[in-house]
Amino acid sequence: MSFFGFETGFPGQNKGSKGDSRKKTGTHKSKGPDAAMDFEDTYRGFGGYEKEEDDYLNDETFGNTTEMGADFDFGYGRGELDAVGHTNAVNQQNINMNRSYASAAASTGPEASVSGYHDDGMDFTPMESLWTNQALAVPPQQYQQQHQVLSMEEIERLQQQQQSQHSQHGYVGGMPPPPPVGYGYPPQHFMPQAGYQGIPQGLHQGPSQGIPQGLPQGMPQGIPQGLPQGLPIPMPVSLPMPGLPQQYPEPPHVLQQQQPVAATQQSAQSSFLGPSASQSPDLSQLSATPPAQAPITKSPASSAPGIFPQVAKPVRSAPNSRGQIVGEQDSRESTPRGIRRGSVRKVQEALSPEEIKKLQVRQAKVDKILRHSGVMTPRDKDFITRYQLSQIVTDDPYNEDFYFQVYKIIQRGGIVGESNKGLIARAYLEHSGHRLGGRYKRADVALQRMQSQVEKAVTVAKERPHKSRENLDSAKEGVLGKISSVRNSKAPRRQLQIPLQKGDEEEIESSAIEDVVQSMNGVDLSSSSKARRRSSYAFRSVDQRAVLSRSGGRKFVLSLIETVYAEVLELEAQLRSGKETDSTALWEALHIADDAYEVSPFISILSFDKGVKIMPRIFNFLNKEQKLKLLYCFFSELSHLNIIVTSSYKTNPDPTDTQLKKLELFQSVFLKIIVSFLSSSAEFVEVLGLLLALVKNNNVSFISTSKIGLNLITVLISRAALIKQDVSRGNVLSSMEASSWNEIYDKLFTSLETKLAIVFPPDEYTSKVVAASTTGTLTSATTGQSVKHQFYDQSYIWQFLASLALSGKLNHQRVIIDEIREEIFGTISRAEQLVSSSPTEEQQIALYQRDKLYQDLNLFLNVMGLVARDGEISELK
Amino acid sequence: MLFFSFFKTLVDQEVTVELKNDIELKGTLKSVDQFLNLKLDNISCSDEVKYPHLSSVRNIFIRGSTVRYVYLDKNMVDTNLLQDAARREAIGSTKK
Repeated sequence: MSFFGFETGFPGQNKGSKGDSRKKTGTHKSKGPDAAMDFEDTYRGFGGYEKEEDDYLNDETFGNTTEMGADFDFGYGRGELDAVGHTNAVNQQNINMNRSYASAAASTGPEASVSGYHDDGMDFTPMESLWTNQALAVPPQQYQQQHQVLSMEEIERLQQQQQSQHSQHGYVGGMPPPPPVGYGYPPQHFMPQAGYQGIPQGLHQGPSQGIPQGLPQGMPQGIPQGLPQGLPIPMPVSLPMPGLPQQYPEPPHVLQQQQPVAATQQSAQSSFLGPSASQSPDLSQLSATPPAQAPITKSPASSAPGIFPQVAKPVRSAPNSRGQIVGEQDSRESTPRGIRRGSVRKVQEALSPEEIKKLQVRQAKVDKILRHSGVMTPRDKDFITRYQLSQIVTDDPYNEDFYFQVYKIIQRGGIVGESNKGLIARAYLEHSGHRLGGRYKRADVALQRMQSQVEKAVTVAKERPHKSRENLDSAKEGVLGKISSVRNSKAPRRQLQIPLQKGDEEEIESSAIEDVVQSMNGVDLSSSSKARRRSSYAFRSVDQRAVLSRSGGRKFVLSLIETVYAEVLELEAQLRSGKETDSTALWEALHIADDAYEVSPFISILSFDKGVKIMPRIFNFLNKEQKLKLLYCFFSELSHLNIIVTSSYKTNPDPTDTQLKKLELFQSVFLKIIVSFLSSSAEFVEVLGLLLALVKNNNVSFISTSKIGLNLITVLISRAALIKQDVSRGNVLSSMEASSWNEIYDKLFTSLETKLAIVFPPDEYTSKVVAASTTGTLTSATTGQSVKHQFYDQSYIWQFLASLALSGKLNHQRVIIDEIREEIFGTISRAEQLVSSSPTEEQQIALYQRDKLYQDLNLFLNVMGLVARDGEISELK
Repeated sequence: MLFFSFFKTLVDQEVTVELKNDIELKGTLKSVDQFLNLKLDNISCSDEVKYPHLSSVRNIFIRGSTVRYVYLDKNMVDTNLLQDAARREAIGSTKK
């Protein structure tokens, strides 16, 4: 029986609620309404009822005739509006509607203290009518009568007080009546007053101002808390203590309702007055009478739907309190108590019917606004806000909010802007409508408050997993709807359940293979790698699947890539937090030194785009030795590299657009790394070592048929040549280095000799590449401005030949020229042909293309002191 | 939290939201929460003829569960970063 975690039971039923309410009032008193709300103060253990064994009381509260799923109106009754609109239409349901949950709840607070005053044997009947549309169980008269009797002296005293102290209205209106009264207590006694009074009197809202302070906080009282916040009127000086003086403020209600009636004796009210007058003297009877029996003294009831048929009579008379306010204005005019409602009426009296109607419309609007106002206290709101915030904040933004954090940093160019928490606080302020700062227009204070809320929410968020582990989350269940520990915003329901792959299985498999390899080759790893080299020389690895299977299988390689990503992300996170990075695990994941596979898994990693893309980030974490090892492995097994195979015109005569894109990616990512590594940190010997690895372990002539392969060889030999030149300027190369260079160059040259012409792809291949890239978006493989004039860019071939010639001796150069003589002259004639054959309007393009062809050719020719110009080759001057 | 994190970066950008009842709304994303509820400002409906009642609506709060698609401009997304974020998310969830 708990709403929003609040015990709605009465003290007689549940002692817990009594204690709670007292505790709450206590905290409130000590802190004051404007003190910062402290979560722990207000909500510790609140709503933490583990078992709901008092469920059986639901019947009493909600009525056992209530259908499942019925909508209970916790707000300020909808019927209220009707009552205002149709002034005299006394609706049976009005009384029910008028009763708000809030006002009812308010009565539970004082109840505790006052119950002693009344007969302790009082039967507390729950307010079924609160939730249902059934007629009210307890007649309102009862309350009125009692009070008339109870507090005549006080009434007089209060009358005087009231007249002398205007501000008293506030709590007068707001004070909840003693418990028995609560049942029949129509909410409009205080709820509507704010509205009523406010409108005609130029928003003089004294009463509603005073109300929140006078009431025990923490209960969902029906006080329009939200409303008075913005009002400048100070609190009434004489604040009623929550426990003790409750009976004092009540009388005014009684007076208001009863005294005018008695004075005027209007016919409309006679039915109302009659029973009350007769009953009023007998206090003891009343207090002792259980509410169900209360109607005994009532005049015969007309039939009313509901479980308590007696209710009919009170129901009819009760609307007076509301319906008369507007409609029977004159009935109460003469009362001295007219200050509150009477004042409204007096104003209204002077108004024309249209104005009254206008006022009514306005009233209806205000009522609508007030309907649910005050259901939650600011404290409740803070709590809810904090709870909501705790779902979206995190104390570890880089982990849980990675995309947003990094994206913002990238957007701002590396500058960390406003903190995440600040942004959340700001966004939430916009939501809550408090961004203007409320009463004192202190927007900065509001923001600070919200920021502190966010901070607290972070704490809540931190505690959350801890709580769920201890299964304490159920305590919060019902407070803010159902809370699922298995499903939340961080782990939403999954549409697809993908079984997690067993990483262990793979491990076992690979280690098993390792064992086998070990036992076969003994401990001599070099022999196993020799075996690998031989095989890599023999196979051209045209079939990509074969390569993958020889390096552990496609799935294995893919999972390897993910492992590598995970390692890199981990390392990057460490780097961000300023910790030492340890790349051992990453190195292990790359499987570079792993001889268990025929083809190194690393080579296979490079056959996937994502594998290529991660390379620069891997390189950030590798030391030089590791980088060298990696490149050594790479060059040794170049023949297996998927990209070589696809970029070779021999193995892949029909390149597709996607393949060409892959090629492009590889060039822009991995080739770049190699070049930058070689030019920045590689020693001459190391370059030689890599070149040797390439020449020794691969079919160089095959590699040279691919663009990427040719690029790689070019990079190595030109780098070696550059270092050699640099070194020779400074300190001379050691004889050993020089001789090994010559040796390696000879080896390379021998493998290329007689096959140099095949570095030029056949025309049909080049035209296919051009066609494929024209349809696609690639431009680097071709040159020329218009699509029509695109042709295959051969500059990479001439660069290769140039660097080869540069490092070679004269006889090497002669061999090169001999072998590619046809290509040289072919290029020259093509260049000349372009200009002569193209129409005049495309002359410009043709000239540009011719220049490009000469430029490329001259790259190579210049090395040997030659230059091609205007269809002729001459010596470079 | 990945998509929450992602959509947060789209705040103040123009997106098109297609709802499960086929209504398509274009507007500036003002805020998003953990349920991927969206708040759009300056909305315009792609089919004003069919949904005339939306022509006078300027801003709207959309419950996340009613959204079918959110159309984005290509350059609003850093796909590489998104891949990283997805991997981190996956790593995080397998660890727990």
